[in-house]
Amino acid sequence: MRSKNYFFAVLALISLLAFMGLKIRIDKIPRQKVPGSSIIYLPSGKYLKYATFGYSSLLADLIYLWSIQFYSNYDIPHRFDYLEHIYSVIAELDPQYLDPYELGAMIAIYEAHNPNLAFRILDMGLEKNPQEWIFPYQAGHYAQMILKDYALAQKYYQKALAIEGAPPILKRLFAHATYRLGDYRTAWQNWLNIYQSTTDPRIKKIASNHLYLVKSAMDKEQVEQALRQFRDKLGYYPQRLEDLVSYGFLSQVPKDLDGRDYLYDREKGTITPAQSPWKR
Amino acid sequence: MKIRAVALNTFREAIRDRILYLLIFFAAIGIIFSRFLALLTVGDRVKIIKDVGLASISLFGMLIAILIGTGLVYKEIDKKTIFTLMAKPIHRYQFLLGKYLGLLLTLLVIIILMSLIFLFLIFGHTLTIEWNLLVAILFIFLELCVLTAVAILFSCFTTPILSSLYSLAFYLIGHLSWGMETIIKKTKPGLGRTLLRILYIILPDLENFNFKTEVVHNLPIPGEIYLQSFLYGLFYSLFLLVLAMIIFQRRDFV
Amino acid sequence: MEHVLEVKNLHKSFKTGFIPQKKKVLQGITFQVSEGEIFGYLGPNGAGKTTTLKCILGIIYPEEGEIRLFGLPHTSLEAKKKIGFLPENPYFYEYLTASEFLRFYGQLFGLSPAQREKKISALLQLVGLTHASDIQLRKFSRGMLQRIGLAQALINEPSLVFLDEPLGGLDPLGRKEMRDIILRLREEGKTVFLCSHILQDIEMICDRVAIIVKGRIIDQGKLQDLVSEKILFYEAVISGLPASLVKDLGECMAAEGGRLLLKVEGEEKIKDLMKVVLEQGGTLHSLTPRTATLEDLFVDLVRQG
Repeated sequence: MRSKNYFFAVLALISLLAFMGLKIRIDKIPRQKVPGSSIIYLPSGKYLKYATFGYSSLLADLIYLWSIQFYSNYDIPHRFDYLEHIYSVIAELDPQYLDPYELGAMIAIYEAHNPNLAFRILDMGLEKNPQEWIFPYQAGHYAQMILKDYALAQKYYQKALAIEGAPPILKRLFAHATYRLGDYRTAWQNWLNIYQSTTDPRIKKIASNHLYLVKSAMDKEQVEQALRQFRDKLGYYPQRLEDLVSYGFLSQVPKDLDGRDYLYDREKGTITPAQSPWKR
Repeated sequence: MKIRAVALNTFREAIRDRILYLLIFFAAIGIIFSRFLALLTVGDRVKIIKDVGLASISLFGMLIAILIGTGLVYKEIDKKTIFTLMAKPIHRYQFLLGKYLGLLLTLLVIIILMSLIFLFLIFGHTLTIEWNLLVAILFIFLELCVLTAVAILFSCFTTPILSSLYSLAFYLIGHLSWGMETIIKKTKPGLGRTLLRILYIILPDLENFNFKTEVVHNLPIPGEIYLQSFLYGLFYSLFLLVLAMIIFQRRDFV
Repeated sequence: MEHVLEVKNLHKSFKTGFIPQKKKVLQGITFQVSEGEIFGYLGPNGAGKTTTLKCILGIIYPEEGEIRLFGLPHTSLEAKKKIGFLPENPYFYEYLTASEFLRFYGQLFGLSPAQREKKISALLQLVGLTHASDIQLRKFSRGMLQRIGLAQALINEPSLVFLDEPLGGLDPLGRKEMRDIILRLREEGKTVFLCSHILQDIEMICDRVAIIVKGRIIDQGKLQDLVSEKILFYEAVISGLPASLVKDLGECMAAEGGRLLLKVEGEEKIKDLMKVVLEQGGTLHSLTPRTATLEDLFVDLVRQG
């Protein structure tokens, strides 16, 4: 009896050491992993919601967490193929979960270089959460910064402004986008509005700088058009800007917002403001 | 041989246990359901049948191993059928080994059955017999050998409900071993880390038997892993069984 | 001569209760069983009979003490080959049929298939269960289970058979059959170890007994040595006489339907009683001498213990 117990104890010890040793060796063998391949077989979010028995919010969290790890792993090829699918599944499961929309759009733009997908995701976010100005804000931001598409940006800023609680910066972004689109009149009005309605000295300064910018643009347009007319008629650019007035192409020579003269380049037929609007 | 007698008897016992049929029924449903799930998916349909099919075999194999395994020894002690057996010329450890092998035999028969249905289903879709699926299934069976051993181990000293919970915990720990690896990487070197590392090596790593992903995606499997995984399963099962034998040998059957 | 079963100084405690408290169940049990006898092991419920038996069979482990079967350690497989055991309540595999059940046990003894089958049909015939050989044990009645239990205990033609309360729960015919089987076992040269608390059965068949009370053997030896043959008193049943007449002769134990049951001590008083009955025209229905029974001894011993 005694000897049998010893035998068993020794056998247990041997097998313990054996499998421990094997484990260390097996760990060293590299195995090709295709993590997340199974998630592609997620059926559409609509059906999945019913299959989760009320835990759809939890499942959304899990899939979102998984997707963060998945997309952080740069070794995986073709990982963006199902980006839209995954994020629409999350949206279906828990439409009010805000973070995934932002992250999904971010991945789409910066990693997958697919701006249209980003906009679709943010649109989806706004559709399901009409009170969240952050989505059109971000969309406008991407449109302006990455695509340089000010028309699109302006549209988004307008949408954002329509939502209660939208931060004041959106007004400024909208105004600037309007300026960029060349609609100087409206831009001037917007900036004037901003200038007059704020008491914050910093915002006033910003607004005044922008007003300077807009005025400069407007003046530039006006004067350069007159210059072109002059040249067309007389064959050369005038010696001085005042000549434009003398000849009737301008009613007066505009000065910049600070009352300074514009710098006239006779060779090119352009005027430029004497200073940068931001260094005033 | 005596062990064989006990094993065949256990096989008979398992076959006549109604739980078995319930689980087989659900396993078959699972495999057939995969066919319908494939309709909902975006992408390759056969892959989802393979995924769900292998998952069914694995999951239900696990449930059978645990639900029947945890009752095997406990019932003998609780219903006192072991009394007359003690008066017969058979060692306690021979009896235990017979029980283990009997359940393995049952599992083998069931797995073969499920595999046939599964391969047949795949054949219906691709008109080829995919032999490499059998590799995944073989290692699923090896995992079940370890799970059965752990179920029997717990069955030697605690009730079926608690044994099932402990066995399930073992299964979960076995599949989350990689999580511990991550924790160890983030721990500062020192005594704590060494202890964690030792714990990490002792705790089961059932992912070593998981070739489902590779097989479904036709990825290459490094050759040396076959033998080493097999030996790992062998020694881990042996370890658990010997522990069970020691406990079984020493206890009073009141 | 070597004893078939030798138990020396057996001690066993159990931890019981929610807050485990050690309870001593066996406190130094010592006895021997010789070859070819029917040995009765008796005691009140909870005395430790079944615990002793479980220790002998290796179902539980004693703290102290030594047990030898046929001179071998009691856990050795050699010893186990020569014993058979019928437990108190039938604890058998429900899902097996009667013949499958016996076949399984037969396999454990290493019998060849041919030998096995012969044995199985012989045993089924012996216990009268041939008709039920293909019925699952779960469908057996209590009596049938008792019988199949006996069959498995005898499958290896053991030299020593342990029976734990074999006559409990049987109807009178069943009990007679069982007693006959036990007696026949002795005739075949086997030794029988019988645990019981039904004293009438013990009295009828046992050669030697040991009495266990509260974990201790308080008496053991040949049955006839323990129980004297002295007549203690007579029980007389009479009718047709008023109780007052016979008051001095004996104690009136019961009176019903015109009959009186009297306890009369001494042969003299019996003679007087018979004279009164004859003279007064009553009727003597029965006259039974009562010797000391095992029950009396038992009750006394238990009361003392």
